[in-house]
Amino acid sequence: MTKRCWILLLIVILAAGFISGQTKTAKITAIRGAKIIPVVGEDLDVGTILIKDGKIEAIGKDISIPAGAEIVEAKGWRAYPGMIDSYAFLGLQEITGVNETVDNRETGRMNPQVRAVEALRYDSMHIPIARSNGITAALVAPAGGVIAGQSVLIKLDGWTNREMVVKNPAAMQIEFPGIRGARGGGGGGSGQRGAAAADAGRLIAELKDLFTKARFYEKRKNYAAKTLTLALPEFDETAEFLLPVVKGQTPVMISVHADRDIRAAIQFVKEENLKAIFFGAEQGWKVADDLKKAEIPVIIGSLYDLPPVWDDGYDQLFLNPVVMNKAGVKIAFASVSATMAKDLPYHAAKAAAFGLDKKEALKAVTIYPAEIFGVEKLMGSLEKGKTANIVLSDGDILETRTNIQKVFIDGKECDLSNRYTELLEKFKKRS
Amino acid sequence: MKNPTIFLVFAAFVLAASFQPASAEGGNLLIKNGTILTVTQGIIAKGDILILNGIIRQIGENINPPAGVKVIEASGKFVLPGIIDSHTHIALAGTNEGSEAITPEADVGAVINADDTAILTALSGGVTMAHTMHGSANPIGGPNVVLKMKWGKPSEDLVVTEALRTLKFALGENVKQSSRTILPGGPPPRYPQTRMGVNAIMRREFLRAQNYMAAWDRYNKLKASKIPPKILLPPRRDLRLEVLADLLRGKMVARCHDYQATEALEFIGLAKEFGFKIAAFEHAWEAYKIADELAGEKIGISVFADSWAYKMEAAEGIAYDAGYCAKKGVLVSINSDSGERIRRLFNDASKTMKYGGLSENEALSLITINPAIQLGVDRIVGSLEVGKQADIAIFNEHPMSAYARCDMTIIDGDAYFDRAALLREREEAAKKAEVAKKGGRP
Amino acid sequence: MPKSARPLIMLTILALGALAWTSPADVGPTYAIRNAKIVPVAGPVVEKGILIIRDGLIESVGPSDKIAIPEDAEVIEAAGMAAYPGLISAHTHLLLEEPAAPAGGAQQVPSITLPGAAQPNTPAGTPDVLAFGLLKPKKSTLDSFLRAGFTTVLVAPNRGIIQGQSVVVDLNGEDPEPMVVKNPAALHINFTTNRGGYPSSLMGTIAYIRQSFLDAEGYALAQAVYAKNLKGMKRPVFNPFLEALRPYVRDKKPVVFQCNNVEDIKRALKIVDEFKLNAMLSHVNEAWRDASVLKKTPIPLLVTLDFRPPSGSLFVNQGEDLRKKAEAEIYPANPSNLAKEGIAFALTTFGLNDGSTALKNIQSAIKAGLSPEQALRALTIQPAQYLGLAAQLGSLEPGKIANVILAKGEIFDEKTQIDKVFVDGILWKF
Repeated sequence: MTKRCWILLLIVILAAGFISGQTKTAKITAIRGAKIIPVVGEDLDVGTILIKDGKIEAIGKDISIPAGAEIVEAKGWRAYPGMIDSYAFLGLQEITGVNETVDNRETGRMNPQVRAVEALRYDSMHIPIARSNGITAALVAPAGGVIAGQSVLIKLDGWTNREMVVKNPAAMQIEFPGIRGARGGGGGGSGQRGAAAADAGRLIAELKDLFTKARFYEKRKNYAAKTLTLALPEFDETAEFLLPVVKGQTPVMISVHADRDIRAAIQFVKEENLKAIFFGAEQGWKVADDLKKAEIPVIIGSLYDLPPVWDDGYDQLFLNPVVMNKAGVKIAFASVSATMAKDLPYHAAKAAAFGLDKKEALKAVTIYPAEIFGVEKLMGSLEKGKTANIVLSDGDILETRTNIQKVFIDGKECDLSNRYTELLEKFKKRS
Repeated sequence: MKNPTIFLVFAAFVLAASFQPASAEGGNLLIKNGTILTVTQGIIAKGDILILNGIIRQIGENINPPAGVKVIEASGKFVLPGIIDSHTHIALAGTNEGSEAITPEADVGAVINADDTAILTALSGGVTMAHTMHGSANPIGGPNVVLKMKWGKPSEDLVVTEALRTLKFALGENVKQSSRTILPGGPPPRYPQTRMGVNAIMRREFLRAQNYMAAWDRYNKLKASKIPPKILLPPRRDLRLEVLADLLRGKMVARCHDYQATEALEFIGLAKEFGFKIAAFEHAWEAYKIADELAGEKIGISVFADSWAYKMEAAEGIAYDAGYCAKKGVLVSINSDSGERIRRLFNDASKTMKYGGLSENEALSLITINPAIQLGVDRIVGSLEVGKQADIAIFNEHPMSAYARCDMTIIDGDAYFDRAALLREREEAAKKAEVAKKGGRP
Repeated sequence: MPKSARPLIMLTILALGALAWTSPADVGPTYAIRNAKIVPVAGPVVEKGILIIRDGLIESVGPSDKIAIPEDAEVIEAAGMAAYPGLISAHTHLLLEEPAAPAGGAQQVPSITLPGAAQPNTPAGTPDVLAFGLLKPKKSTLDSFLRAGFTTVLVAPNRGIIQGQSVVVDLNGEDPEPMVVKNPAALHINFTTNRGGYPSSLMGTIAYIRQSFLDAEGYALAQAVYAKNLKGMKRPVFNPFLEALRPYVRDKKPVVFQCNNVEDIKRALKIVDEFKLNAMLSHVNEAWRDASVLKKTPIPLLVTLDFRPPSGSLFVNQGEDLRKKAEAEIYPANPSNLAKEGIAFALTTFGLNDGSTALKNIQSAIKAGLSPEQALRALTIQPAQYLGLAAQLGSLEPGKIANVILAKGEIFDEKTQIDKVFVDGILWKF
């Protein structure tokens, strides 16, 4: 072929790609007529949201809708950002009492090497149920032991587990002991409080030791890489997988509960120069100022539980987020579940029932978790440029009676059918 | 001890709170200006309830307080019937006699534990009455008891004597001990280990009970006859079979823990075979599959809203179960079966508005009048009507709102939980602690 | 004392001498405790008195100027000391050596063996077990309790629900037979469960107790009918379990129910009423919470000096502060609260394994409001009456068993030391 032919071919190929790309990404969706609650910024009584290329192209009261746009009539509905569950077992548990279907708890104490994403069952029946209640993203975390493994932030839509990944790893999960002398909390079943066996102080010493080992391990590896005569250190799995944490690349999420232990954990995080998130912190209200000063955000554990310490009061678990929020600590709510993941908004509402400002409660399931996990540019609010994770509802999404009408993830409308609706439809046919 | 004063103050407060009702007014109260959700007779937007001697005497607007009657200001609040939890295991010293399969001689009414702090937990969630039961370790467990949550009162004062006498049955995984590991050298597995064995053992016991009743009938006839035989010894009095005989005679009703549709249908068959009444199926996660049968047989269900997928037989438990069955005419109650969930029963009931399309009042019925009917106490509680016992809860929001919180729980006209009083006590204790810390100087 | 009284006193002494016939084998030492303050419990205090012990019994007691010291008496100078009756603990598990594996003993044989009936490894009920057969007294235990002033204890078997029959013993040595004061003393029942077998729950236990008594009644009836129809009626099958229960169900011999909390008391009273048992309630360290019930249905109470609140009590599961306060202040006030309500009781050392703890707890009870006199009565004459031993024990009176303690100071005072103890008339060597 002549040189000219080659150039022509090249142009055609490029143009084809360009054109097909154009037609692939040309679709625009317009959600029209809804009351818009962007979470960041003022609410709009009636407005329009334009979605393009999976992102929010525009939001406003008088937005002109381009021709050819798919229009979603949302009159009488509300538009919210999709909710984010800050600690869930979605995809790692199917039937909690049947061990064969449970993958969130590895055996052993130190497991920085396990990755939740590698066990994530993308077609778990619990994911569509949560999604159909307006939850569009979740942190899926391993649990158990001291270092439980690496959690992953996923969007609740995708044909494979890898397609669902938003951020991997999201954090290294570490667990401190529960509150000594705490009551069993029977009935809640959230499993968020570890046995009060080990002393947090000893645990911190052990972790520091591991971190130091990891640093030296890396130093030695690097030095040996440059110097052939120097022996490589024996492969150390724990050190290897702790390095990103030690170097500040991966944040740690520390599950910590008693006030003394929270203080000790704050100290530990400062000394080791870690980027940290705390989970649980049931006595965080006692040390709220310390948390605020240290700028450590707190994921609230399940409110479907009994207060661990009787003397702290029957409403201690509910007041905890209220007090911390008032003290300026950034909080986020979590379902701490797979089977009850859809209940995320109701934990937030429960805290609001006990004094949490309703707007703060909403933020704690949208923008605050986005900020905590470093994905605030992508999600957590309805703002131009963010991913179009949008929920249309017939009422306040934190209310139990509200019906979710439509859910968009990455600008695509999601299928809201789920295990519940499938079985219901099947047996409706009986009559 | 670092500061004895704080300890004493705190201990005094805790001690006082620990076994006295929050306020003991002798059952005389006037609740004013609340939104009254009667459940059975509509809503009064701004109304009053007059209670004398623990009974609701008047419901209406602008009721004048009689002399000496304490007034409870409920303006901006919602007043509803005390919540009834129709399936719990609280306030008992033990819930299962698991060593044998059939144990109806074991009566939970004999082991009430009025010291159980779960009673306080229940009160904080607006619950005034609980049907506390055997667990599910046995095909035939034993009699249950209905209690009012009267913290601080002697145990006999908690028993609701008007309630139906109920007998706990259980089917499925728990009863056949499917999760138990058989250890070498340990005790052999307990019969029955299959669902068919469960039905067989129940049938066997009913037949034995019929035999027992026949033997006593014959003895009584002989004893009463004109010439009784010279040697006449009564049959052995068997506490176990006497309870079953009571069920067969209609003096008790069955409350049966079931998950799968098949096992429920077969139990209905057994009930027909031996002529006893099933008041309700417990949990009934597959009730939506047999809603017509349940409605037709007038058998109720007492279920969770959405706690599912914790074992195989709960894997098809859909959140629409309660709402769908209710719409089909089944008498549905929502229960907690948990000393924790009991304080958010109202949250669970509200979910049927979303999963099932129930109205606000229908959802509220699931935890008030419906369980009252199931337990046979609807003449005395379950709704706000003149003449009923004053079991009342006062919430800050409509109880079917996720933002709702119980602020006061009243039983027989006495407040057993009062959040405002609790907060005042905390403030005072905190103030006293501050003063004590500063060495007594203000 | 008027002159005319002297011949009466001589006559009394002679008469008593005639009554107290002693065989040579029973001859023991004679003591004359001189110039002690004597607290007889059954009568007024004698500020300066003499107590004569002879052949294991109290021969005479009275003011120093009225009692003659016999010529064969060893004189014990007791000026500055006080003499009290030896204390009685009416319910203990002391001095027992129970077999490692539960021994025989009749079990309630189910009337029909069915699949679905558990085969228990440990018997839930062994009414025919006698505590006497399990006695293995150890000097260290005897010393410990004698030092605290206890001379008599009831020992009950420690296993199961229907535990067996107790024995009352004087702490006079390591040989069980001479210790026995009364055997059997009572049938003992505890509201516990039979883990690993039936009944494994408290409600099962209550049914088990009731069914056992029903079966015992049926058995007794069958035996009675058979006795009248030896010819023509098949004999009832011998049942050692029911045989052992018969005296308690038919002949109304005493039954002791161990009631571990406020509810057990009511549970026991229901059973007692159903079977018209001759019963006593023991442990009952929450009895004050049932004061109104106990006033309505009075029943002998054996109140323990063990002040540990039962688990599950509302004082235990509402925070650590309340639990500490309960153990330190609330439960030790149980005896004084009962006394205030006019409810009679005896005190026991049940659950306490050494005498010094028992003494300390008596002092706590007194600090909480019980008067020392009430405490003393509750540890002497009251338990003697409850155990049917008022003729032999519980006070310093002529003819009673010579269990005497000599204390330097008021008994139960924190500074008081017990100087000497006489058990069955023998001076104990620590």
